[in-house]
Amino acid sequence: MGDVLVLAEHRQGALRDISFEMMAIAPKVAEAMGGEVKVLLLGSGMEEMAKKMSGYGVKVIVADDPLFENFNAEKYQKALSALLDDMKPAVFMTGQTAQGVDFMPALAVEKKLPYVAEAIDLNYEDGTLKAIRNMYSGKVNATVAFKQADTYLVTIREGAVEAPEPAAAGDVEKIDSPLKEDVPYRKFVEYIEAEVGDVDITQSEILVAVGRGLKEDKNLPPIEELAQSIKADIAGSRAATDAGWLPHDRQVGTSGKTVKPKLYLALGISGAFQHLAGMKGAKTIVAVNKDPEAPIFTVADYAIVDDMFKVVPALTEKLKELKG
Amino acid sequence: MTTESQTFTEKYDLLGCIQCGRCTGGCPVTVRADLNVRQFVNDAYDEEKLDELARLAEIWDCTACHTCAVRCPKGLKPLEVLIGLRSMIVESGKVEPTVRDALQSVLLEGNPWEKPRAARQDWMEGLDVRIAEPGEHVENLFFVCCTNCYDPRVQVTAKNMVKILNKAGVDYAFLPEDESCCGSEVFTIGEEGLFEMTVEDNTEFLNEFNADRIVTLSPHCFTTYRTHFPDLKHPVIHYTQLVDELIQEGKLAWKGELPKKIVYHDPCYLGKQGGIFDEPRRILKSIPGVELLEFDRKRERSLCCEGGGGKMWVESESRQERLAETRIKNAKELEADIVAAACPFCILTLEDAMKGLGYEEEMRVAEIMELLGEFVEA
Amino acid sequence: MKTFVCIKYVPDTSEAEVKVNPDGKTVDDSRFSFDINDADNYAVEESVLIKEDKGGEVDVLSIGPKQSEVMIRMAMAKGCDKATRVEDDRIADHDPLIVAKVLAGAIKDQEFDLVLTGCWADDDGHMATGVALAEYLGVNHASMVKKVEVLDGKVRAHRELEGGLMEVLELELPAVLTIQTGINEPRYAPIKGIRQAQKKELNVVNLDDLSIDPAEVSADASQVVLENLYIPEVESAAEFIEGETDEKAEKLASILVKGGLV
Repeated sequence: MGDVLVLAEHRQGALRDISFEMMAIAPKVAEAMGGEVKVLLLGSGMEEMAKKMSGYGVKVIVADDPLFENFNAEKYQKALSALLDDMKPAVFMTGQTAQGVDFMPALAVEKKLPYVAEAIDLNYEDGTLKAIRNMYSGKVNATVAFKQADTYLVTIREGAVEAPEPAAAGDVEKIDSPLKEDVPYRKFVEYIEAEVGDVDITQSEILVAVGRGLKEDKNLPPIEELAQSIKADIAGSRAATDAGWLPHDRQVGTSGKTVKPKLYLALGISGAFQHLAGMKGAKTIVAVNKDPEAPIFTVADYAIVDDMFKVVPALTEKLKELKG
Repeated sequence: MTTESQTFTEKYDLLGCIQCGRCTGGCPVTVRADLNVRQFVNDAYDEEKLDELARLAEIWDCTACHTCAVRCPKGLKPLEVLIGLRSMIVESGKVEPTVRDALQSVLLEGNPWEKPRAARQDWMEGLDVRIAEPGEHVENLFFVCCTNCYDPRVQVTAKNMVKILNKAGVDYAFLPEDESCCGSEVFTIGEEGLFEMTVEDNTEFLNEFNADRIVTLSPHCFTTYRTHFPDLKHPVIHYTQLVDELIQEGKLAWKGELPKKIVYHDPCYLGKQGGIFDEPRRILKSIPGVELLEFDRKRERSLCCEGGGGKMWVESESRQERLAETRIKNAKELEADIVAAACPFCILTLEDAMKGLGYEEEMRVAEIMELLGEFVEA
Repeated sequence: MKTFVCIKYVPDTSEAEVKVNPDGKTVDDSRFSFDINDADNYAVEESVLIKEDKGGEVDVLSIGPKQSEVMIRMAMAKGCDKATRVEDDRIADHDPLIVAKVLAGAIKDQEFDLVLTGCWADDDGHMATGVALAEYLGVNHASMVKKVEVLDGKVRAHRELEGGLMEVLELELPAVLTIQTGINEPRYAPIKGIRQAQKKELNVVNLDDLSIDPAEVSADASQVVLENLYIPEVESAAEFIEGETDEKAEKLASILVKGGLV
């Protein structure tokens, strides 16, 4: 039975995009393996979300249990361990996310099943399941094959594929919660919201973003001047916020914010996938980087290979001239 | 802890100080920061106070220009007390992340700029450069300097040097890729262990070569090798001394005129620490058309640009006008067209200041080698 | 408190050109600069901070070649007490679960409260080793930890989720925590400190010394096969603006203004 069981991800009442993105991969694998796609939802109060997932023409399986109200890796591992024994899917898939990484490797070890983390593509050919991974600062791809097993475990990189449009209507089946009792060792305490600063970059029309290339915060003034000249907000990659050059709420990327401005200027940002995932959706992307091989250029509309410290002041000046 | 038993007082000869204040009186940084080196020399005598003193921000304002040492009537080096305090912070590991990264980079990549060693000689691309072989005799063995190797703004110094050397038929060679940081800033940042290692390793490396002299493109390397490398077998000169020779010997041909007013800025590591004042001036005066101007604060009194002493990696807390800005304003008052210097740090800081003041239309900052590259047949 | 910190010696490929070797399964690392994996560096700092706060000992564990010893000594210079370096070319290190098995083999016979390691590696980025290690050791875990508070018999950890949201949880000790970058500011390891750390114990062991059966951690034992590495085709629809810096700036400004983008 070649079923692909997809664990959809949700948080604070909403499904996360990765859940829909996996719908671009799961169906083709299921078809090649002679099975169907089933989407699993573990949570509390899942009616709306279950309905939404079923819009992808898949069978949605819901384990609705107050114990699942907040994510807890110990609970998930326990529940999934039981469900895998029960359902025996050919493939068990979820997102390579803060949630997914917190239990998938442990589950793979516990069940002694093959596991590939962060696949950007997955294909079943000639009886072998193969995943494509991306490594070495995004510069190299790897083809990894799963050895034969009853179930293959895989996580999918966020933003690697585009989510398809929901098409047909599938059905929703409720199952008994696989958790019989609370777990002993790990306790969820609370969520702490990210500090809300003065600017919500997810709402910004124009963003000027800096990364490693900034080198230090004393180099911000020309960037600020550029931003001011075009009424842009300033954002940064993880490198910029980890270093303290920008507050955390300005971080664009998988561990920060996803932004969709009409214009995104990436300055001295190499374009690690974590960053790209957060800004690929920008309408127009301009990238300036000294390295012609920088991955940022794969998503840019306009590219300048040069030193950002030379380009920025010149650009600010020309913009001022043209805008009058 | 070079000799475990030395106290801070003994190591820096604090008792030799007569508290005359000539050091602080001449310190260029005092106009813009809270630094009073005489006070530090006084306070450091109290061992119990050292930890507190080491935590003060102003110890990082010192540029190691050595004006205090030059002026001290007792031949002491007051700045070394500040470096000693910095060492305490270094040993605790709690230096600024920018300093940490620069030091780690020197250890792992042989340069403070976090650039890979493999890229050290990328500047040579397209040029015909002779590379030195250990043991093979050469007259002039060139040491480029990390900043000249990696910073695109000043790579021109090295590139133009090669072109002129080739044209003038000089017997020269450049060190191979293993060339590593001279440690100038490692020393002034106070990383004693790393500096000792640098001295040992570089002495061993350089002594493998057979040259009449080592020629440095940067005054920092020049002074550091001459001051702190007792076992280095080669004499060390700065490139301006070599180029001055070439001009005296008539080996350079001029291909044009530079009818501009040039004011020469004496780099602290070349002038007041190295005693080289005349050669750069002779070079500039020999360019046809040049009118050489002088700052009031010239030669030994040159106003430090604040590039040295680890300042490339530590921002001062003071928001007052930077000395480089003051210098550029002086140049503007003199109506100079070009501010010339012979040091990569001076070029970077002075140009930064010039751009910050918005004078790019009226003025230019240039390394002497940049000007030679434009006006010498090569 | 007894803490193990697991660190990896990785190349810095952010600015380097990466080429795949003719064998199609390895990259040419002859020109790479190697150093401690970034997230592991934060884990080292966090372990030392915990030791400075609660007392105890921190042991470093790393699977790597002789050249990686400078990285280990630097960690010891920062305050770790002793180290074990595992070297054995029978280990199928393309597979993070195998790596975790080896690490577990080196730790399991000892008493410990915490194992810290970076949440992901800069080179292959699986984000799996730490969590798999916890399972092999049979202890609790939390990944992507951005803040650690050691309490009595447990830790309160803040996990960094997408969007900057923090998940706060409590976990019974012993536990494995995988550490996220930015949790602290790693200190500098001065050369004098590294020299003194030469006196600290650094044991070099192989699988036999650890009583790990090579058959358990070889390529045959791995359930995944690295078939090949290749440079992906860069599909760039980007329009590269050419010319001198000023020309480029002018062209771009024109595109932005005329296109109504600014």
